[in-house]
Amino acid sequence: MKRFAYPLAILASSVLASACTDDLPPSDPLPPGSTQGGETTTFDHPGDSISPWDLLDRLTKEGPPSFTSHMHSCPKVKYATLGNILTGVGINAANTTAVSAGDLYTNGANALGAANYPNRIRENVAITTSGASREFDIFAAGAPEVIAAFTAGTIARCPGAKLFDASNACQPEGITCLTGVPATAEHVQFCNLTVTSASDVPTGQKLAVAAILAAAYTCE
Amino acid sequence: MQRISVLLFAAALAAPACSTGDGSGGGGDVSATCGNAVCDSGETETTCPADCSQTGDQWDQQLNNRTVDYNAALRIASLRLTGKLPTVADINSVATAADDAAKKTVYNGLVKAMLETPEFKTQILAFWKDTFKQGDSALLDTAPTFAAMLTVNNGSYMDLFTASSGNCPTFDGTTFTPGECANGGPVAGVLTNPGVMAQFNSNFAFRRTRWVQETFVCTAFPAETAAAPVDVGGGAPYTGVWPFASIAGKDNGGRVDFHDVSATICANCHTTINHIAPLFANYDANGMYQTTISVPTPLDGAPLAKLSDYLPAGETTAWRYQVPAADLPALGAAMKNDPQVEACGVARIWNWALGKTDIVDTLQQVPSATITDQIAAFHASGWTLKDLVLAVYTSDDFVKF
Repeated sequence: MKRFAYPLAILASSVLASACTDDLPPSDPLPPGSTQGGETTTFDHPGDSISPWDLLDRLTKEGPPSFTSHMHSCPKVKYATLGNILTGVGINAANTTAVSAGDLYTNGANALGAANYPNRIRENVAITTSGASREFDIFAAGAPEVIAAFTAGTIARCPGAKLFDASNACQPEGITCLTGVPATAEHVQFCNLTVTSASDVPTGQKLAVAAILAAAYTCE
Repeated sequence: MQRISVLLFAAALAAPACSTGDGSGGGGDVSATCGNAVCDSGETETTCPADCSQTGDQWDQQLNNRTVDYNAALRIASLRLTGKLPTVADINSVATAADDAAKKTVYNGLVKAMLETPEFKTQILAFWKDTFKQGDSALLDTAPTFAAMLTVNNGSYMDLFTASSGNCPTFDGTTFTPGECANGGPVAGVLTNPGVMAQFNSNFAFRRTRWVQETFVCTAFPAETAAAPVDVGGGAPYTGVWPFASIAGKDNGGRVDFHDVSATICANCHTTINHIAPLFANYDANGMYQTTISVPTPLDGAPLAKLSDYLPAGETTAWRYQVPAADLPALGAAMKNDPQVEACGVARIWNWALGKTDIVDTLQQVPSATITDQIAAFHASGWTLKDLVLAVYTSDDFVKF
């Protein structure tokens, strides 16, 4: 527990001091940027303190900073990067057709946690339910475009790569192109299983592409 | 909140036995269970230190169980440094390298090449926008653009606090064009930037002060804590290092009682804050420098602040206790000499690379021990930013999973 003591001490001092009140932090912290207090108390101090209970829970589950600082986290894909990824796998990110992948992306900045600089809020890199849901919707909507781009061979990053062969079997080089890491036998097996388990091959291919993209880009 | 736990669980399942030969495992043990975080029958501290070491705890064992994966590192580095996926040719060049040493050579070369791409300029600008919490307008872009230009040109991080010209460049998506800020007054890196002053305008210029502390020291206030707290008659002791009366209160000329101890000890933070904030108080809401204090107070009618609201007569502005700073260039010089500022710069790049949330907003701390090598190299290089980015993205921790 000694490894947890330092961050908790910092938190305790900052919460108590910055709030300028001897009350315990509210159980439901105010939204970022909010202020609290008045002229008779502490004026308008920020109300965006970290809940010590949430921090303790995080430290218990994730480990102390001496451990977590060495480890990669699982941040969401940043908004602009997601646009590049969509383009990089053959999806038109600027498509304005209703509920196309491009439309869902273009109009999904808030759901995807894009920055709100006028309100001094940086881009959120934590994964949220709304962000992940929107991202998966985009991949589902864009799967046909991905398949068409592979068929036409228009993906410059991966010249000659095929996603499916003539017998509709998944190809590792195509999966590598989609995910950005070398495809494993398990990737190919999963892809083939998805294709063959669907009601028909075209549906299975769309599902396979959407599922691979969703799995690959849950974390950046 | 549970994402790391999930990853750790997955990593634990995926962690190969100690016979992978990467030097991170446990001696010559070939046990299939070595690396499962349990010292199984037949395993010893010698044959499987990852599971059986008496000196490390479960977290040390988890760290020892990581394995090098240059292809996974390449994907992350490419997405962060260029905003794009690596090409299949690059993926294969790493994957088909003969061994880990060869993979490392190829990987390091690819990362170095990424830092020279046009896309890196855009990515590093986005990083600084997020770090500074501002951007996407001509005014608010200038500070992050200055930081991005320094990074792309491998300039000194300390120029963010000390540069005396060219602090408001522009970026057209391809090229940085140096430019001067037009808000008047002293010039000291981003500390005098009009966008920063406008974005963080507030009563008493306290928000600007907080921005400097949190962005460049990586901790919230209080910034200075005494070894021995002092009883000042409140419900809690005073923990600052400054004399309690070194800031203003209603008992020594101020209109706001920073000496108040009835709610909490305001001086714990405000002894530091009040010695810095007057330096930022001459900037108005638009970030323009004025010859007199131009920030309001939260008092009835929102009158402008006075120096006597911050400090009693005879007290001068300062970065820290016994580190005086008469003006913003002096403040920047003091920050340049502060080891916490140097370490914070490394920690922010580190957290970006490893995908962390904001180091202050979410308390994603980076202990100095984690980044000792990078801090030393950063200091020795003269705080060159592109070198720092390369060092972090090619560090052992970045390529282990």
